[in-house]
Amino acid sequence: MMLRNLKFALNSAWQSFWRNLAVSLAAVLSITLILILAGINLLVGHALSQVLDGFRAKVSEISINVSDDTPLQSVYDFEQVLTADPRVASVRFITKDEALAQFKADPQNVVFAQQIEGNPLDAKLEVHVKNLSDVAGIDTVARRWSGVDPTDPTNYQGDFVNRMLELSSWLSLAGVALLLILMLVSVVIVMNTIRTAVYHRRKEIEVMKLVGATEWFVRGPFVIEGIMTGLIAASIALALLVVAYPPAVDRFKSDIGFIPLSYDPRFITILAQDLLLAGALLGALGSYIGVRRYVRI
Amino acid sequence: MVLTPDFESRPVISFQRVFKTYPTGTEALRDINLEVPEGDFLFLVGPSGAGKSTVVRLLIREEKPTKGKIFVDGIELGRMKRRKLPYYRRKVGLVFQDFKLLPNLTVYENVAFALRVLGEPDQHVRDRVAEALDTVSLSAKENTYPANLSGGEQQRVAIARALVHAPRFIIADEPTGNLDPATAWEIMQLFLRINARGATVVMATHNREIVDLLRRRVVAIDAGQIARDDRSGRYHDDVAKPQVRAQ
Repeated sequence: MMLRNLKFALNSAWQSFWRNLAVSLAAVLSITLILILAGINLLVGHALSQVLDGFRAKVSEISINVSDDTPLQSVYDFEQVLTADPRVASVRFITKDEALAQFKADPQNVVFAQQIEGNPLDAKLEVHVKNLSDVAGIDTVARRWSGVDPTDPTNYQGDFVNRMLELSSWLSLAGVALLLILMLVSVVIVMNTIRTAVYHRRKEIEVMKLVGATEWFVRGPFVIEGIMTGLIAASIALALLVVAYPPAVDRFKSDIGFIPLSYDPRFITILAQDLLLAGALLGALGSYIGVRRYVRI
Repeated sequence: MVLTPDFESRPVISFQRVFKTYPTGTEALRDINLEVPEGDFLFLVGPSGAGKSTVVRLLIREEKPTKGKIFVDGIELGRMKRRKLPYYRRKVGLVFQDFKLLPNLTVYENVAFALRVLGEPDQHVRDRVAEALDTVSLSAKENTYPANLSGGEQQRVAIARALVHAPRFIIADEPTGNLDPATAWEIMQLFLRINARGATVVMATHNREIVDLLRRRVVAIDAGQIARDDRSGRYHDDVAKPQVRAQ
């Protein structure tokens, strides 16, 4: 009986979709546009989080410059203090010679390195913290240490890190808000499409109810029609986004080179899941609400 | 052939002190007490606006009583849960003045619709629809669309649809209202046959000739109250001044 009902629902959904083709296509188009926007939002959000992840890895490291006259024992003692700190993941001591070698190894410094006489670089302690937000705390500890180079204690740029973190949380909040608005708009669109379909078929619905159809029997075809609309829209949106994603990344990469954008093919799978699921859910929800008033016995 | 209703047994339809006031303030029914035994054939008569249609709407639970209780087959309609309603409606066959056929479905499909909604298997649907169309003598027109049928034929399709699921009750609201006298008489014959098979029939009607000819139970409603309940009645109780009560 369930199967027969499902067959009936699928048939009438299919018929209704084609019978009101103009309205159905308008709905598909509108939802496609909305899902494209939602998809772009997801892609930009993903790119941003990729960039931020890289950034986080970088700034969760702080190097403490050791003043030249600090005795080695004092450095080792401080290294142990840091290692014992629960906020610290790892500490590495880099001697003046190692620092110079590192400096020279960087191809950007080739010309500059040739002009250096002696070793002007400080020895340093490179500290890796567990949480990005703990960098400031370690910085404070380092500045209080007697062996720190007073002219240039650490490479910590407090404000910048905080601002980046704040910005990233605002951006993700804005992304979520935008997504919510887009979802709401598409629910309203599906609702109105289904209302039109329901209006065309109100006589049929009245007869259905009089001969004893259950609410779900009446509602089923419309909900399926909504899901169909949503899935078709999601497929179109997905196809367009998949085609446009790599060239868009290339384009932005060349325009803003300092942001390490990259094409992430794995994200396509996630995007496909999200869009199809969103399309189906929005379609179902929109038609459920749209048909409610007429179906209530 | 005609089943005599058993007035002594428990009634299958029972109105107990039923009042109905619409949200607009219109007092449609006042203190209605009515019992219908199984197998009865009952005419509801009365002028337009007297409350006949309200009785029908209460019976199919399109409306709930404002006060009082209505029992059909042991179920109290006013307290029935909404999700139970479809199952109640399946016990009832409904026939309306405007037929309520679906124009985009053929005669066969219109009748089959009542069974499809119940999720009946295809073979069962075919057999039952053929039987119902045979009862109303429309087997030859099963592939015709309603627009190509006469009014009487359309009403016969509606009756076939109302009885295809073998309901215990037939509720008809002015089923002959749109038909000429000869066709109306044909339709009445059908209702009598359905009643003879055991179904209880409640029919709201304005058709004086038919009521007077059949001499069945007549419940007259006037200004929301039962004015008269005769076991073998006529459309008007007072033949001398019919115009007063006529619409």
